[in-house]
Amino acid sequence: MTPVAATDPDRHARMARCLERAQGGELGALDEIVEALTPLLWHVARAQGLHTEDAADVVQTTWLELLRRLHDIRSPHALTAWLVTATRREAWHTNARRRKQPGAAPEALDAVPDPGPDLDELVGRGERHRSLGRHFQRLPARCRELLRIVAMVDRPDYTVVGRALGMPVGSIGPTRGRCLAKLRAMLLADPSWSPR
Amino acid sequence: MNGIPGAREPGEHEPFDDVDASILADLHAFHSLTDPPPADLTERVRFAIALEDVDLDGLDVVVSRLQDDLLVGSGARGAERTRTVTFDSDSLTIMVTITEAATGGVRLDGWLAPPAPLRVELRITRERTDSRGQSYTTTADDTGRFVFDGIIPGLAQILVHPTPESGVDLASRVVTPSLLL
Repeated sequence: MTPVAATDPDRHARMARCLERAQGGELGALDEIVEALTPLLWHVARAQGLHTEDAADVVQTTWLELLRRLHDIRSPHALTAWLVTATRREAWHTNARRRKQPGAAPEALDAVPDPGPDLDELVGRGERHRSLGRHFQRLPARCRELLRIVAMVDRPDYTVVGRALGMPVGSIGPTRGRCLAKLRAMLLADPSWSPR
Repeated sequence: MNGIPGAREPGEHEPFDDVDASILADLHAFHSLTDPPPADLTERVRFAIALEDVDLDGLDVVVSRLQDDLLVGSGARGAERTRTVTFDSDSLTIMVTITEAATGGVRLDGWLAPPAPLRVELRITRERTDSRGQSYTTTADDTGRFVFDGIIPGLAQILVHPTPESGVDLASRVVTPSLLL
């Protein structure tokens, strides 16, 4: 799933057909949807501060929950929004359970995802990524969550996902929105970053 | 805009443009690089939802959530590795202790709470590409205890089925996310 695929006009129609077939009882048709949307749900769960095992579990639970709700979903846009909402809810429950656990791992208590591998090592080749990462980390937590998720979403889904994230319609596309405006200002003031 | 009155960011109401698209594309690449989903996540999801006898008109799935995953440590002779996983749902808690024998097989010792003689199914993959999997079935004893032994390592999923004679009011089957044995 890349932003290029985001503008693929056939994609929406293909997803709609898969959804219809799945609703007709052909559950194998979900495979393509699972393939397309599982990475997005991973980032939704991680943006909520879950460590990797919990995030993987929450993503699976969300898809299982979808089976129960499949008939309520009207369109691929609605499906994306439903999945994002359900993943956040599951992640929230998991975070709440972790907090109640005696001796819970400190990273589970933290609202920030564990940093994972050393960023410098991973993106060492790209000064561009390093400065992006630096500026991104300076954003408020809510903005980091929103932008991380929206960046993973296909552009036609911005509005519906924005609504699912509790953002007013238009908080991200058709207008820029506050979070993106903040990051944009920082990046444009940084000579090591330029739009491409 | 984001619920903070008075705090305006210059340009926030301007139309989304190519620079914005470029920033989002960079963020996409950045997070895909620094924190990608586990390579097998899609496969695990596919396996977990490839349930048989799914009736979409009254789907009988209750989802359990992974509550805990503790590495218990090595077994008595040091040749075994043991860990405990707990799944929690509204109606049932499933706890399994997974023991990897040095010989390569896996043993599952499970307990259901509340204890009841319910039918327990273990779905496993036989090959990495086989999302339909293979099932073993057993019935828990009166104390809720069940055992699966000699399981081939791989993805697994536990399903607990309502059983009329069990005396426990389980409205629908309980399904866990997949776990790696």
